[in-house]
Amino acid sequence: MEILTGSISAGLLIGMVFALVALGLTIIFGVMDIVNFAHGEFLMLGMYTALLTAQATGFDPLLTIPFAGLVGFMLGVICYLGFVKYLIRGPMVAQLLGTFGLMLVLRNLALFLFGSEDRTIHEGLLVGQSFDLGMGVIVPATKLAAAVLSVVLFTAVWLLINRTRIGKALMATALNAQGARYMGIPTERMNAFAWGIGGATVTMAGALLVNFWSVTPYVGLLFTMIAFAIVALGGFGSIPGAFFAGLIVGLITELPGIWDFIAEMTGFAWMVDVPMTSFKYTWVYLAYFLIMLIRPRGLFGWKH
Amino acid sequence: METLKNALDFSDFPRLDLTLAASVAVFLLVFPFFSHSSFAMSTLIQFLIFSLYGMGWNTIGGYGGQVDLGKAQYLGIGAYTTSVMLLRWDTPFWISMPIGILFSVTWSFIIGYPLFKLKGHYFAIATIATSLVLKDLFEVWELVGGSRGIEILAGKYQTPDFVHLIFKGDDYYYYVILIFFFIGILFMNAFRKSRLGFQLRSIKDNEDIARSLGINVHWAKIKTYAVATAFVSAVGSFHACYVKNIEPEDTMSLDISILIALMAMLGGAGSLWGPIIGAAVLVPLKSYLKEWLGAQAGMVGIDLIIYGAIIMIISAAEPRGIWGMVEKARRRKRN
Repeated sequence: MEILTGSISAGLLIGMVFALVALGLTIIFGVMDIVNFAHGEFLMLGMYTALLTAQATGFDPLLTIPFAGLVGFMLGVICYLGFVKYLIRGPMVAQLLGTFGLMLVLRNLALFLFGSEDRTIHEGLLVGQSFDLGMGVIVPATKLAAAVLSVVLFTAVWLLINRTRIGKALMATALNAQGARYMGIPTERMNAFAWGIGGATVTMAGALLVNFWSVTPYVGLLFTMIAFAIVALGGFGSIPGAFFAGLIVGLITELPGIWDFIAEMTGFAWMVDVPMTSFKYTWVYLAYFLIMLIRPRGLFGWKH
Repeated sequence: METLKNALDFSDFPRLDLTLAASVAVFLLVFPFFSHSSFAMSTLIQFLIFSLYGMGWNTIGGYGGQVDLGKAQYLGIGAYTTSVMLLRWDTPFWISMPIGILFSVTWSFIIGYPLFKLKGHYFAIATIATSLVLKDLFEVWELVGGSRGIEILAGKYQTPDFVHLIFKGDDYYYYVILIFFFIGILFMNAFRKSRLGFQLRSIKDNEDIARSLGINVHWAKIKTYAVATAFVSAVGSFHACYVKNIEPEDTMSLDISILIALMAMLGGAGSLWGPIIGAAVLVPLKSYLKEWLGAQAGMVGIDLIIYGAIIMIISAAEPRGIWGMVEKARRRKRN
């Protein structure tokens, strides 16, 4: 029982951060129908930004989030104006491969600048502390802070898009770009804004993760795939969908614990021998595949 | 008989193209007789391997317009079938290669049936997902060596061994893959004029119209996917014998899948020469950059930054590839 509650709470906590990771991807996809392979690389750069500023200034990594968000916003806008603007004129295969090229450049730029070794945060306000809630639920303070701040940031972006003028202009561009242009909305600037928001949210998610996730230049691809799975499950372009799908994918990554629980309950010896932890992320890919087959629109999708 | 005639008939190309193609073919045939570095030889073998992968991708991705980014899984199936069968039962290459193709094509039918219900981005990402699932599976599967991979021990064979395809020098491998390469070109030439080839192009132009003409769109895509798979799997088997040491990370990673699609797109997807031109540009570029910059201290990553930047520039500036540029220039000249 303790394994089960522990796994579920860990899954939900990490799921909230995953939702923030996927938020930028779903906004960008909703507004301009382009899949960004470099999404995880933005996250990786956010992690490095937080880690290096924290080490240089001596602040806690959580305090570097605004700075990481600023860097991410700039990065997104620069990528759009300097590259993606030209890319979206071409066919789909060129778009996919073009963002893959962007991913290679960003990943290897990080490799060139920061080296390939794993880096982790060893000190900070919250590192090493944890709360024991009983029933096997031990919540590390870093993960709890990351989850809570993720939900706060997620809500802030949701409010920005649904309650403000600029957010409504963004939504109008997503629904019908040509119509929005006739209404006097500068769609080109809206696209750049979508990339800025996308970049900012994902780098802030990276700054939240850095407290308990080690950084290498290669960390991005895993998060790109997780974000794809979340966006597919929630529905491409749907913001509430991304949140609930993030929680579900968080639970999927904790399947090994749940598997152990079932093995213990049923007493099947063969279940213990299955190397479930090696398949931790395989289930995410498999879930993506199955979701696409059963419900291609996703849970909350409005674009197909 | 009709197919064979189609395969050998190149008369619909301009004479200039054919002269160039013939001179390249002659160059490839006589290359090993001239003095060359082993670096040049291995680059040329890589070029032939990747242009064959590109040709396979071109059937479904170029002519059919379905962006498939999961070809590496079939490379893996082919390579692993050959090396496992060679290690366990000493099976000749010429038997294990068709068995590898059989496995790959069966798997392609199993996942192709659901996959082709998806379109556009959804399809592309789903192909990546299937490929990564298979890679994770191979990384924990002890029979195939897990993440350490599998090594073919060449020592016990009397080289040159044409039955098991174990050689000491690269020259032998070069001629074997060159024969594959010429067969591949002939096959693609027949394919583009076949019934399936025409069906695919009409699907690419407009799927609804193709369906209204009575084409079974879903089935045509699955069949073509199997053809592309057979290509990749056969060359994957050869790859296993050539490098003799295969790991999931080298053979089945996303980078390989993307590279295959990139070759075809860069050269010009949907044309006979496209993947060959793409491989002729990208493979030497990549290995030269690696040789030149990758080895220098403090420069790690620079080669891939340049390579990624080139991909970005091409896909933003000329998404129809080198062959698209040539055709545009020709059309302008004619008018």
